[in-house]
Amino acid sequence: MLKKSWKFGTREVVYAAIGAALYAVLSLATNWIQLPSAGNVSFRPAIVIPMFFGVVFGPIVGFIAGFLGNIISDLIAGYGFWFWWDLGNGVIGLVPGLIAVWMTTYNSFKDIVWGEVFSTIGVLVGMGIASISEMWVSGADMSTVIFANYLPAIIPDLINGLILLPILMIAYAAIVKRSGR
Amino acid sequence: MLVTWRYRLRNGLMEKFDPRARWIFSLAFLFAVTLFWDARFLAFFFIIAFAWYFSSRAKWKETRRGWYLIGFILFMMIVINTIITGGGAGGVVPPGGHLVWAQGGTIPLVGWQFHFGLTWERLWFAICQLLRIGAISAIFLIIPYTMDPRVYGVTFRGLGLPDRFAYSMELAFRYVPTLARDFGTTLDAQRARGYEIERVKGGIIKQIVRIAPLIVPVTMNSILTGEDVTNAMDLRCFGTRPRTWLQKLTFHWQDYALIAFSIILLGGGIITLYAFHLGNFWVPEFWLRLAGG
Repeated sequence: MLKKSWKFGTREVVYAAIGAALYAVLSLATNWIQLPSAGNVSFRPAIVIPMFFGVVFGPIVGFIAGFLGNIISDLIAGYGFWFWWDLGNGVIGLVPGLIAVWMTTYNSFKDIVWGEVFSTIGVLVGMGIASISEMWVSGADMSTVIFANYLPAIIPDLINGLILLPILMIAYAAIVKRSGR
Repeated sequence: MLVTWRYRLRNGLMEKFDPRARWIFSLAFLFAVTLFWDARFLAFFFIIAFAWYFSSRAKWKETRRGWYLIGFILFMMIVINTIITGGGAGGVVPPGGHLVWAQGGTIPLVGWQFHFGLTWERLWFAICQLLRIGAISAIFLIIPYTMDPRVYGVTFRGLGLPDRFAYSMELAFRYVPTLARDFGTTLDAQRARGYEIERVKGGIIKQIVRIAPLIVPVTMNSILTGEDVTNAMDLRCFGTRPRTWLQKLTFHWQDYALIAFSIILLGGGIITLYAFHLGNFWVPEFWLRLAGG
């Protein structure tokens, strides 16, 4: 059966929910991990979840995994609602989802490279939207947005995402091969 | 791993309102407050926000973690924005102004001269930022403590979101405890094999790779479970008709009053700013007198 990018059927409803719950749980579970010599930078290996769910299940699933997962994680942690950051996290999942239809084996060099490229674009755009919104909400100027919001957000997200995404893609390829799904 | 929701019934005034009305109010408040940089208007919004916040009956002990985070963000913004960078504050503060240290200063021992561009206007802008971000934070921080997680799906459906998205939301909330339990089981199993997550030796890449034995099994296991859930839902003809929800939300008079207030707040804000040209950045006379201007 041909894959459709923007389909949102039963399968997508379920995987969007699983992606969001996973992102929330793994964010909370790895909250305590700190970057060496950068104690103030939030380190979130779970950021790979929206990217991975986007690459495998498409842009809507990726978006919901990031958007809703961030909301749930903040809900449990008691940080409140920050729509613009939730939206940014959604975009991190949405952009890699744009290549989901072209994914074939998930463990080939080509698939992994495309996954990495689109995930990088997703982080740059998603965190860009979230950071720039601070100009409107908080009245921050561009230098503050770049140095206090954008760079501390994209650097750990890119490091985590780019290392963990290929590992998850290779593991998923093994599951697809074994289960024939 | 223990995952607990922050919500518990407190019988506060806030909980008397329908969650949909509360979302409408919160969003209208957000858009209204971001129209203004005049401290007099911002003080009005600040009072409303904290009156709303305190109507929840949430205790400081419960919410302090969120406030610490907001405090840290505020500190970073104000210190970097007003004191260190000296930039244009998003184009709000006009260029020039009254310097706080007009003479500059000298670093002892080395005798180097420095000039600090901090102005009294920018300091006033920092106070406005404090009022504005404080008010927005009070409105949005309190939501997880006062809104039942079971009603998020039906609330967003009621606000016009598609059925499938709302159901996905509902399902995600229900999955959280299951996945948290799976994560705990995986962590225990890996520890039994000698896995040490607490080891902090090694560089960033080593630390991230060390997370993989936790993330991969939990993710793959949940994907396999998802296939079974999808099949079960398909067999029950999911999505062929509009859904019904376990919880039913009904608007009461107080909800209509809150929605009307939200419309007045946002509509009034727009009229005040665009028709009367009031609410832009303003520095009071007494503040400039402090500057000697």
